[in-house]
Amino acid sequence: MAIVKTEKTPAREAPLSETTIIGWMSKNLFGSVFNSILTVVTLYIIYLTVRDVWVWGVADAVWVADNRRECFKISIDGACWAGVITWMDNIFYGRYPREELWRINLGAILLFVWMVPLWLPRVKAKVLIGVTTVFLYPFLAGYLFAGGDKGIFMQVMISAAIVCLIGNTLHSIIGVLTGSSLPEFLIRLLGRQDAPEKSQHKILFGILAVSLVVVYLWQMGWHAEGVSWTKWGGLFLTLVISGIGIASALPGGIILALGRRSRLPVIRVLSTAFIELFRSVPLITVLFMATTMFPLFMPEGVVLNKLVQVIIAVCLFNACYMAETVRAGLQAIPKGQAEGAHTIGLGYWGTMGLIIMPQALKHMIPNIVGSFIGLLKDTTLVSIIGLFDILGMLRSISRDTPWLGLHKEPLIFGAILFFLICFAMSKYSRHLEVKLSTGHKK
Amino acid sequence: MAVSESHKQSEHIKPKEQFDFFNDERVRSVFYQLLTAAVVGWIGWYLFTTTANNLQVRGMDSGFGFLGVEAGFDTDFKLMAYEVGVGTYGDIFLIGILNTLYISFLAIIASTLLGFTIGVLRLSHNWLVSRVALAYVEIFRNTPLLIQIIFWYTGIFSLLPKIKNSFDLSGGAEVVLLNNRGLYMPWPVPGDLLWMTGLALIIAIIVVIVFRRWAHKRQDTTGRIIPTLLPSVALIVLLPGIVYLMTGSPLGWDIPKIEGFNFVGGSSLPPAFLALFVALTIYHAAHLAESVRAGILSVSAGQHDAAMAIGLRQNRVLSLVIIPQAMPAIVPPMISLWMNVVKNSSLAIAIGYPDLVAVFMQTSLNQAGHAIEIVGMTMAFYMFVSLTISGLLNIYNKRVQLVER
Repeated sequence: MAIVKTEKTPAREAPLSETTIIGWMSKNLFGSVFNSILTVVTLYIIYLTVRDVWVWGVADAVWVADNRRECFKISIDGACWAGVITWMDNIFYGRYPREELWRINLGAILLFVWMVPLWLPRVKAKVLIGVTTVFLYPFLAGYLFAGGDKGIFMQVMISAAIVCLIGNTLHSIIGVLTGSSLPEFLIRLLGRQDAPEKSQHKILFGILAVSLVVVYLWQMGWHAEGVSWTKWGGLFLTLVISGIGIASALPGGIILALGRRSRLPVIRVLSTAFIELFRSVPLITVLFMATTMFPLFMPEGVVLNKLVQVIIAVCLFNACYMAETVRAGLQAIPKGQAEGAHTIGLGYWGTMGLIIMPQALKHMIPNIVGSFIGLLKDTTLVSIIGLFDILGMLRSISRDTPWLGLHKEPLIFGAILFFLICFAMSKYSRHLEVKLSTGHKK
Repeated sequence: MAVSESHKQSEHIKPKEQFDFFNDERVRSVFYQLLTAAVVGWIGWYLFTTTANNLQVRGMDSGFGFLGVEAGFDTDFKLMAYEVGVGTYGDIFLIGILNTLYISFLAIIASTLLGFTIGVLRLSHNWLVSRVALAYVEIFRNTPLLIQIIFWYTGIFSLLPKIKNSFDLSGGAEVVLLNNRGLYMPWPVPGDLLWMTGLALIIAIIVVIVFRRWAHKRQDTTGRIIPTLLPSVALIVLLPGIVYLMTGSPLGWDIPKIEGFNFVGGSSLPPAFLALFVALTIYHAAHLAESVRAGILSVSAGQHDAAMAIGLRQNRVLSLVIIPQAMPAIVPPMISLWMNVVKNSSLAIAIGYPDLVAVFMQTSLNQAGHAIEIVGMTMAFYMFVSLTISGLLNIYNKRVQLVER
């Protein structure tokens, strides 16, 4: 006679320490005497800090005032945000003519429109969209921001950019709605899906050429007023410098990294020396070098303006840092990949461009975002050599007569702004890291 | 038939013997290298000739002769003797280097200590503490260092009370004072017999080293563990202490005193120094904390469990198992962080601390010209420091690798 249990034993309920908030607290905050003391002390410190910050920054703060004296009259020990609010336009746009601000905003919106397809899941040819962003958008944005006379070259590039933007937008709308690409859609629209591929291509090129000509003729009609670079400033200038910096750092960095890993000694030594030179000195010395030595390098009569000097310096500096990021990414690719590529008959550029780089770049995206954060933070250094980027603007508030001596509030505002941008980017890069990882990590 | 056969064979062999000039890998590599060298050489030559031409046109002289010329300006803070009207640009260069190294050295020590503390707190089992550490790391890593430096300077250290109302950091003794002119501290004045205390300290250290070696050997042979920490500390503190007291306390203190509108005596650090020091420390500690955390997490949990299973106490688990394995992952980023401290100390220029870039690359360059020489010398200094530090890193990496396998 066997004793067999016929009923299933009901599961015991989870212990209270795992389910209730009190259980969680007793485990994570008051696990031991020492832990409890630590918690209480930390809570007290947090309370003091938050209270002081709240009282200074919000409760006793002055939001509307005409000058600093008035701030003091209203509240002697609260923050004077009125100064920052009055200067808000300057902080974002610098001394850009107020009636032309729409151009900066339009430029930002265009960039947004251009880049959005990269995040839409059903859109095809994302690499192409990314490449056009880097190579065509700058011409359009550059003309929007700087204005002035368009040369023939600029007219062609602007037309190409506009055509590309329109095509891009249509392409992504069609992509989201139907899942096909713009050329496929056009062919179907014209009822030529049965025509041979060659004639299809002819039709597509025809459409492209016609739209280019139309846009070219259209853009000849309008003209943006010139705005000197000396009027550029604020967050706008910071983003322009770091944007150009990151866009040129990636190709530059890839070339330098390949050079450093090259089997040809001359190229390897030159690339290594170049990278190590710029990586071992502070950015501020490179900026000083640009402003003091570049004028000596130029042939007589050629004068580079300060903005161009700074941008060249930032590009050189960041290309070298990017080179190391790229090199780390290349090193992570197993040797078998290159050997496999050689076996199927690919040459050096085929191996790199089709096999190694696509894999390496995927690994590198988090680090690239990381170096973009670094670059954005580093760009504040240009205020030291006299450009009015966002930090330059924040610092000039304290020299403005009504707000004389107002240091803390603008800097805190700037710090919060940078924090929001950089923190969002670093969170996003961590998200990408998880999303892109194809490894076997748990 | 036979003819075609031999023909085939010769065709088969021929490509091996044929030397295809344009498709040969060696020829191509030589060609590309020559091409690169030629382009780089041409750029170099072009820059050199235009620069020489520009210098001639503008009537500027070149060479390092200016280093012997009297500089004619003073710096707020210096670690060597310098007299306005006598000191040269060469002296200014040295002052700048010393100031850069001084603040970097102190900031490296402070940020390393703080960074390890925050990194460990980040892994604390106490939820609140680890969240606070996380907030610290995220806040200070995601705001530009330059904004932080300027904030500490203009928002904190410049707004301190005036000399009359100085903060007393020594708790009523009025020897360590903080005000808007900086930090004032007593400075030791060595007496005649102080060398005996120093000698005692050296002897104590040697004895401790010998004692620890002996204890280690004994543990290896007999398995018996002799407590070494307490005797070592006692020896290092007590022996020099006793000698110091027996020789009649031969160390005086030069204490800062208010005389008129300023302090006399003691030693002082200007507000710019304090702001830069605090900002560099806090910023880099946040970065280091992440490396420390990653390094400790890189040691797998099994190591901890296994060490506990063989009966090691918690502190021995840490000192014998976890830390030795975590250090190889922590040290390389830590050393490159030290390099960043040295490089970032150049931001001193924004708040007027006279570091190398501020006194040499800005003031001297504005006064004396010689852009190429000055930029070259400044960059050479930073490169020298970087190469030295990365040399140290290589030595460390080699040692760690030897231990590993």
